[in-house]
Amino acid sequence: MPNTSRPQAGFRFIAGLGLAGIALFLAACATVPDAPLAALAEARVAINTAEKDNAAHYASPDLTEARQRLAQADRAVASEDMIEADRLAHQSRIAAELASARTEAAKAQEVNDELVKSANALDEEMRRAGDRP
Amino acid sequence: MNSPTFSKTRFAMGLATTAMIAMLLASCASTPQSPPGAADVRAKLIRLQSDTNLASHAPIEIREAEAAVRLAEIPVPKDPDLGAYRVYMADYKVEIAEAKAATRYAEDQRIALSEAREQARLRARTLEANRAQDQADLARSDATRARNEADAARASEAYAAADAARQAELARDEAERARNAADDAERARNAADDAERARMASEEARAMAAADAERAREASEQARAMAAADADREKAELQRQIDLLQAKTTERGLVLTLGNVLFATGRADLNAGGTDSLNKLVAFLNQYPDRNIMIEGHTDNVGSDASNLALSERRAGSVHSYLLQQGVGSQRISSSGLGESQPIADNDTDAGRQQNRRVEIIIDNPR
Repeated sequence: MPNTSRPQAGFRFIAGLGLAGIALFLAACATVPDAPLAALAEARVAINTAEKDNAAHYASPDLTEARQRLAQADRAVASEDMIEADRLAHQSRIAAELASARTEAAKAQEVNDELVKSANALDEEMRRAGDRP
Repeated sequence: MNSPTFSKTRFAMGLATTAMIAMLLASCASTPQSPPGAADVRAKLIRLQSDTNLASHAPIEIREAEAAVRLAEIPVPKDPDLGAYRVYMADYKVEIAEAKAATRYAEDQRIALSEAREQARLRARTLEANRAQDQADLARSDATRARNEADAARASEAYAAADAARQAELARDEAERARNAADDAERARNAADDAERARMASEEARAMAAADAERAREASEQARAMAAADADREKAELQRQIDLLQAKTTERGLVLTLGNVLFATGRADLNAGGTDSLNKLVAFLNQYPDRNIMIEGHTDNVGSDASNLALSERRAGSVHSYLLQQGVGSQRISSSGLGESQPIADNDTDAGRQQNRRVEIIIDNPR
């Protein structure tokens, strides 16, 4: 009986080694880099801000770019390419920021155009009034 | 001992220097390339930096873009993805810097534009005010002109009145002079020894006199015309009266025949109902007091001549006394009886005899 127990003990050892190996492998899997949650969140905030500023109207291509980069970042996270995900998130954010900046610039220009127009209208009106005293 | 040590040290230093130079040369020889696109981003950044309107408006953003571009320019031959990522980020930073600069530039300009618009508004208001002022001036000058015109009109009216008064005075003087001249002329004509003066005066007087004569002629013309008109009117009135009396105009004068309505056969007293035509005659005589009348009685041939004559006289007499009763002056009336001597119709018929029984009143034409 004890004879039979020896080879059993040897098998256990080997099995234990195997389990340890699996555990190690699993541990290795678990240490995949974390998803760039902060960068993704910042990109979403930036896109929301741009949307609120009505960038869809004034800087639609930049807003589209930001959304596409964010979607790509999400896909990269899903495929566990965290470095790529981090870069895409940053690109999404900066594209959204450009959308906001261009929206502001366009609005400022609109206000100026309005001013120029009203000043011209005044001058024009005056000129016409001057024609027929 | 010192020397070998020294020389060993020198050798080591020389070796190090040589190695460093070799390393430097090696690094120069294989200069690593910046990632693709980095040069374009640099060019874009330089364009932004040299735009004088924009560069000053986003210095911080441009500095950040500059840093990003510099990072993007670092060669990363082993990690092209990293290089592309950095170029992307640098590109966007430059774009953002440009957009922000544009925004601030626009905001800066807005102040100037607002001022420009305020100025335009001010110009408009000034122009309006000036125009209103001009219009007020115009209205005022209109009013002044109207007032002046009114004054002038008043003045010229006054002048005209004064002128008229002066003319009237002149005319009066002239009339006075004319009268005097006429007197002079009259005297001169009478005085034979003062012929010279008389002639001169008379010359003037003649002219005046001619005018006077002309005037007189005109006046008399007018008077004549008026008299003629009056006469016409009177004649018309007379004719009306004559018509009223139913008298006939003959060469003896107006003859009024009073038929047998006045008298019954063989009687001389007036019928009460037959006095109407006599009353009309009385009215006529009152209106024309310068006309006298003659009353003639006539009869038909019934009865003797003598009795008819007496009857005709009585008939004429009763008309005569009726007229006297009505207040016609006795010196204006004469009456006679002519009997049956002047029949106006056939005595063989009743109607003829009736016409012959009559009283005729002949009204004289005025003296």
